[in-house]
Amino acid sequence: MNWFPIFYREILLFQRRLLRLGYVVSALFAPLLYLLAFGLGLGKRVAIPGTSYLDYLLPGLIAMSSMTNAYTWVANGLTVGRLHFRTFQVYVQAPVTATDIVMGELLAGVARGLFASLILLGLGLLLGSRLQLNLMFVLALILNCALFAALGVIVGMRSRSHEDTATFTNFLILPMAFFCGTFFPVNEMPWIVQVIINCLPLTHANHLLRFPAWTLANLDSLIVLSAYALGCIVLGIVIIRRYSE
Amino acid sequence: MIITQDLSKHYREVVALDGLYLEIHPGEIFGLLGPNGAGKTTTIKILTTLARPTRGRAFLQDYDVVRQPLPVKKLIGVCPQEINLDKELSAYENLWIYGRLYRVPGLHQRIKELLEFGDLRDRASHLVKNFSGGMQRRLLILRALLSRPQVLFLDEPTVGLDPQVRRQLWSLIQQLKQEGITIVLTTHYIEEAEMLCDRVGILNRGRLIALDTPAAIVARLGGYVVEATENGKREYHLVKDKAEAYSCAQTENCEVIIRQVNLEDVFIQLTGERLSR
Repeated sequence: MNWFPIFYREILLFQRRLLRLGYVVSALFAPLLYLLAFGLGLGKRVAIPGTSYLDYLLPGLIAMSSMTNAYTWVANGLTVGRLHFRTFQVYVQAPVTATDIVMGELLAGVARGLFASLILLGLGLLLGSRLQLNLMFVLALILNCALFAALGVIVGMRSRSHEDTATFTNFLILPMAFFCGTFFPVNEMPWIVQVIINCLPLTHANHLLRFPAWTLANLDSLIVLSAYALGCIVLGIVIIRRYSE
Repeated sequence: MIITQDLSKHYREVVALDGLYLEIHPGEIFGLLGPNGAGKTTTIKILTTLARPTRGRAFLQDYDVVRQPLPVKKLIGVCPQEINLDKELSAYENLWIYGRLYRVPGLHQRIKELLEFGDLRDRASHLVKNFSGGMQRRLLILRALLSRPQVLFLDEPTVGLDPQVRRQLWSLIQQLKQEGITIVLTTHYIEEAEMLCDRVGILNRGRLIALDTPAAIVARLGGYVVEATENGKREYHLVKDKAEAYSCAQTENCEVIIRQVNLEDVFIQLTGERLSR
């Protein structure tokens, strides 16, 4: 395995961008806005049985933020690196395997997703939210980041332009962010919508981050997330292995 | 060292490369010459495992580039046409990451050696985005040399550079030949091919139309060209020697230039087009 240089390159680039105000604002502004607007504004009017709205919202925002950060940076990085800067071609011409490339990109995506989650977590705790932080929580968070980073690899490799990546984001990532139980419980939706929502991975990530216990129901969600992650990783490897200009 | 057999690449209806048979010998500088769209970059892409051929096969030291890509990748260094360095990273970081991809032993020392060789030692920690075009191009070549490749592919290595920097890079390429590296370069600069290459293959619309040493290719055509320009229209006459050139010039009733035949004349003769179309 020789994934480390790919991972390290991404982390170095991430570190450079992190120092720019623009990056911090674009990566963290949206979840922060949701936290303040929904948590402090709408939250006072919404009743969630057994918990406060802030405690309900924060795990959802962490799931959403880890998803978008892990996915967006990998998808955009690969699209731009492959089509515009042609830095991706360096990997293809180097003696590394498709698995190395996917693992390097995926782990960098996980690191970015976790970084964004940690900031939200810190902010939520400052606002008085009580989260159940345990091994299941961490496992679910890492799985969620890995799954969407792997999805980012697929989208980044298949996009024929930057617009393609944006289209995919608008049609899959954005609806998931709103419908998978981030802001409100899914059990109040029509049953057919609930069936669809339950097939989407973010629903399971939300569920696991809210109720991170080792129960049979949670095991189902863990299996669903793992299956999605594994499927995306394998597909990403196949796409890169078949890459030809 | 490198053998291609009936190598072809089609992009839907467009034929980028059409039945290329080629043999490149160890230690030589081989030039692929041709205008934009001739198939030079496509050939390089196939030989460096970036593109799969539609038909035909290519071998690098007995390794099939399609079926055995990993051993092929270990033997080659690639300097692409576009500067695909990470411009947000320093020269050292760029080289370090590339060196780790190739698992270069004694990487730190090797980077130091190369930065010294490329006269970039003082710039090691500077961000690449602050480098001039010539320095970026030099760093790109140094990066390709990190893994001590046996074959170096240079795709239009001096495109867009001013003449002084171009000459510096030519000298660098000649030094590499002294070290025994086989070099395959593509260019559409005549003087570059004539100056650097032991042999050239001229490509046009995906087909190889001439293959030999630059001198031998030129010699086939004749010794001199009489270039007559009248009302903006240029005419070429190929003649064997200077005496014939002078007598030919006397028959023209306009501005006349007599010069030695070059590869561009060969190209025009073979295809009816200029190299830099």
